[in-house]
Amino acid sequence: MGEIAGHLESDVFYDFGEMSCGDLLIALLKAMRPLPVGTLVEVRALDPGAPIDIPAWCRMVGHALLVRAGGPQNTHYLIRKGG
Amino acid sequence: MAKLLISITNAKNDTDRATVGCVVANASVASGVETVVFLSTEGVRLSQEGYADDIHEEGFAPLKKLLTDFVDAGGNIWVCSPCFKKRGLDEHKLVPGATIVGGAKAVEFLSTGGSCMTY
Repeated sequence: MGEIAGHLESDVFYDFGEMSCGDLLIALLKAMRPLPVGTLVEVRALDPGAPIDIPAWCRMVGHALLVRAGGPQNTHYLIRKGG
Repeated sequence: MAKLLISITNAKNDTDRATVGCVVANASVASGVETVVFLSTEGVRLSQEGYADDIHEEGFAPLKKLLTDFVDAGGNIWVCSPCFKKRGLDEHKLVPGATIVGGAKAVEFLSTGGSCMTY
């Protein structure tokens, strides 16, 4: 579907805009819960806390954060859904 | 599994604290952590159906949506029994996911590996 800076092509894309903290993580949870394991998910998140929160969230729930892109603020992420 | 209890002691007397407590609870439950929102003192008012309908802090989702999302994601809401009774609230009007508990329930949760944040 999308493609982050020439990296792997994603299966789905979600734009979370300025969502932050618990709102962002609940939205990520809802978006990714129905997807099959292994799905490549591209995420756009603009909140200044997202570059710290999204990698931490991926570690906690067992998803693989493959790519961070979009400049110093890492506005785009490519995540492979874990089991 | 890690366990986290979010203690919320405010309602319309301090909607900022009440809201941020719910936001952090959502961050916790969405991260796969066993999470409890523990409502005590003024916070117990949030357990009543309809009470939080008009609480919407600027920059945050409405508090009712935050609590609904929290429960839908697997979180539990515990309501301090003596605080609830003191205020004459209605146990038949609890929001979904809320349970009235005594202090022993919170103590058990915290003394068996749970951590706590308070708002």
